[in-house]
Amino acid sequence: MAAVQETIDQVALIDVDQYKYGFETTIEMDKAPKGLSEEIIRFISAKKNEPDWMLEWRLEAYRRWLTLEEPTWARVNYPKIDFNEISFYAAPKSTPGPTSIDDVDPELLKVYEKLGIPLREQEILAGVKTSRIAVDAVFDSVSVVTTFKEELKKAGVIFMSISEAIREHPDLVKKYLGTVVPTTDNYYATLNSAVFTDGSFVFVPKGVRCPMELSTYFRINEKGTGQFERTLIIAEDSAYVSYLEGCTAPQRDENQLHAAVVELVALDDAEIKYSTVQNWYPGDKNGKGGIYNFVTKRGDCRGKNSKISWTQVETGSAITWKYPSCILRGDGSRGEFYSIAVSNGHQQIDSGTKMIHLGKNTSSRIVSKGIAAGVSQNTYRGQVSTHRKAENARNFTQCDSLLIGDKCGAHTVPYIEARNSSAQFEHEATTSKISEDQLFYCLQRGIPTEAAIALIVNGFVKEVIQELPMEFAVEAQKLIGISLEGSVG
Amino acid sequence: MNMQTAITMTAAETALVDAYNAEIGELPGEGAVLSARDTLLADLKKQGLPTRRVESWHYTDLRALLRAVPAFDSTAFAEKVDPLVAGSSVLTVLNGKADAKGAPVGVNVRTYRESLLDGVAAADLIERDPEDAIGRINGSFVRDGFEIEVPEGTELEQPMELQLVQSAGQSHSRFPVTFGANTKATVIERHLSVSDAASLVTVVSDLILDDGADITWIILQQQGVSDSHLAQVNFDLGTNAKLRLFVINAGGKLVRQEVHGVTTGEGADFKLRGINLLGGETHTDVTFTLGHDVPNTTSTEVIRNVLFDRAKGVFQGQIRVAPGAQKTDAKMACNTLLLSDDADFSAKPELEIFADDVQCGHGATVIDINPTHLYYLRARGIPENKARAMLVNAFVDEIVEELEDESLIETLEAIIAAWLEKHA
Repeated sequence: MAAVQETIDQVALIDVDQYKYGFETTIEMDKAPKGLSEEIIRFISAKKNEPDWMLEWRLEAYRRWLTLEEPTWARVNYPKIDFNEISFYAAPKSTPGPTSIDDVDPELLKVYEKLGIPLREQEILAGVKTSRIAVDAVFDSVSVVTTFKEELKKAGVIFMSISEAIREHPDLVKKYLGTVVPTTDNYYATLNSAVFTDGSFVFVPKGVRCPMELSTYFRINEKGTGQFERTLIIAEDSAYVSYLEGCTAPQRDENQLHAAVVELVALDDAEIKYSTVQNWYPGDKNGKGGIYNFVTKRGDCRGKNSKISWTQVETGSAITWKYPSCILRGDGSRGEFYSIAVSNGHQQIDSGTKMIHLGKNTSSRIVSKGIAAGVSQNTYRGQVSTHRKAENARNFTQCDSLLIGDKCGAHTVPYIEARNSSAQFEHEATTSKISEDQLFYCLQRGIPTEAAIALIVNGFVKEVIQELPMEFAVEAQKLIGISLEGSVG
Repeated sequence: MNMQTAITMTAAETALVDAYNAEIGELPGEGAVLSARDTLLADLKKQGLPTRRVESWHYTDLRALLRAVPAFDSTAFAEKVDPLVAGSSVLTVLNGKADAKGAPVGVNVRTYRESLLDGVAAADLIERDPEDAIGRINGSFVRDGFEIEVPEGTELEQPMELQLVQSAGQSHSRFPVTFGANTKATVIERHLSVSDAASLVTVVSDLILDDGADITWIILQQQGVSDSHLAQVNFDLGTNAKLRLFVINAGGKLVRQEVHGVTTGEGADFKLRGINLLGGETHTDVTFTLGHDVPNTTSTEVIRNVLFDRAKGVFQGQIRVAPGAQKTDAKMACNTLLLSDDADFSAKPELEIFADDVQCGHGATVIDINPTHLYYLRARGIPENKARAMLVNAFVDEIVEELEDESLIETLEAIIAAWLEKHA
């Protein structure tokens, strides 16, 4: 109940400005000229002191990208993106590579302070937070700081920005990068492979249970840029890691592109739990501005009895195009997808998952809750398929949509493909509005309409919220309240 | 690629174009009808048959699946068979040639050939949308069928059977049917094959139900193992109109049955019940779209699929609720029994909703026979194959029992039992 109360308080506090992370910070930036060419890719690669093989990898992806066409199958509408108007690299000038927290530009630290992200280990240790989280903070194109690196190192866990990993652990990166999402995968993933600037790298060795939650906080700040991060997480045999991702951006009239790629590899008996609270700037109430969030996320349950679990709370972005997926390759592996997608104003969300059952005795579970308000469009698009040899594959899918107002749309597009008689697939979807009875019950008890809606919606999404780590669960609940602000008219 | 490049035509595409050129002199209709045909064929030539890249054909790649098209066969012979339900009035289409003699009293029927000849049909010969390959092929080649008008207030005691018997070659028919206000009727659209020769059969039925019409339309498709069957039913439901559509597929090699409807009057109610009995090498696709365009309309769809051997099954169902169509109540279920490891089934149940005060849901399941059910029966001394047949039968029988006509239920049950006996 406390968390619900908090949501209500949060909603009550906000009056005019709904997006509280919309501030902009003036920091001297090092920016690549606009546009995309082989020179720009060489520039990015040089900026990052990358080895030659990495540059080659990027160039190959770029040449491939030139031959691809932008996908148009999703239920989203936006003017064509002019890739020559985007600057593909922007970094705060004052951060000369990896650094200790004391070298970081105080302006930058202020940003994270304002965002409520703990970057100073001592502060965290001092008991500001009850549990500890290691954070990698990515500001526009670069990682500015990664906390708790030393302590994680003792446990054998590698947690650093991917640029550092390319330099320090080239063998690991070479072995796994692009093996889940190949450079040829799709338009945006291929673009990302060519121009990715930073992101996180996590390696949890055999038998290690990562001692703390790992987290990356992405911030787009600079005008006229895009963010292209790449995250690679590897859990070796019997390892466990829980990883959180958060994102925000300033309030602006222009649309900015965020095209990330996330690859997860789980070996025998390993488990990766990946949680996202996506709160990019969604645009103003007239649909002006906002982030285009075109993301490819995929996990490969490569080993026996491995498990990958995706949990996402999607409240931000003008347009979301995102399908965190699991390839259930190892026998006995399991994939999970829990999602809350809230759209309001002019937001458009086309999101869902793919569960590809390749191994025997694999199972997957999908719980998706879509909430549409304002004039937004909210689509669940998902695929569940079994390979002919994937005996005893099981899937359970539930996707529910809630509509608030009669100007929005909620859509469900599942693809179910069974190729083996022992497969057992169950899929159900419902769409409804907030029940008048429930609302009346709350109003009668003196709860104002907006707070009552937040309360009912929180009940609707509880199943997913429960899958989030504690700290995120509270934040997510607050966010849902915020996103629905103004939806009652 | 947006670039228009000439496609390399497949054997089937070439055969269709050749057939058109060879038959155009024989196809009824001139002027507007002829130019409508030419336009459709030009589209077919330009776009080719749809591939999996065309979203509504994603699971039925017609270009790859339709390998050969038989030539028109004017010498083929087929004759009328007994109706499914004794006492029905029977309108026959034998190898594509319609005969309006059996029309029930009080119902206005003329052959579609006549509408093609006097040009009335020209307005029908259009594509529903750019992905409408069935409309395109049927519209190019249509040569007969029936134009039926059931006048206001007519109640038909006995079913009306549209009997399409095919022995070889091609047949392309259309059935524009208008049910006047407050009419009541049962129509059986029956597709039979009386030889092993491969045939291509296409059918487009356009049903208009005026206010208060209460209609049961049954499609029973039992074509031969080498036949291709491409069919489409379009319907429009007026105020308080009721349509119960039963689709039973128990034959054919390549089958696509499309059902597209809209509710345009408040209080309209639609029910789709489907049974797909799929065995051998069949590829059978049931694709359904329904637009709830006005407030206060209801629909339920229940599809049951049973797959044996190397059969491939597809169900695509899309329910759209238009802006403002409040109080829509729509429920769709697709349940599949996958009884062979070589069979496969794909489902795409879609909801597209633009109104908030609605109740919409869909469910889809794919399973094998429940081992505990099987155990229960076997524990009572029923041999395994018999027990399996009983369970499969129970799975589909639920659908048949929703019909009201006892003799129709019995006949359909017998057909299903015979089919299961042959395949299980």
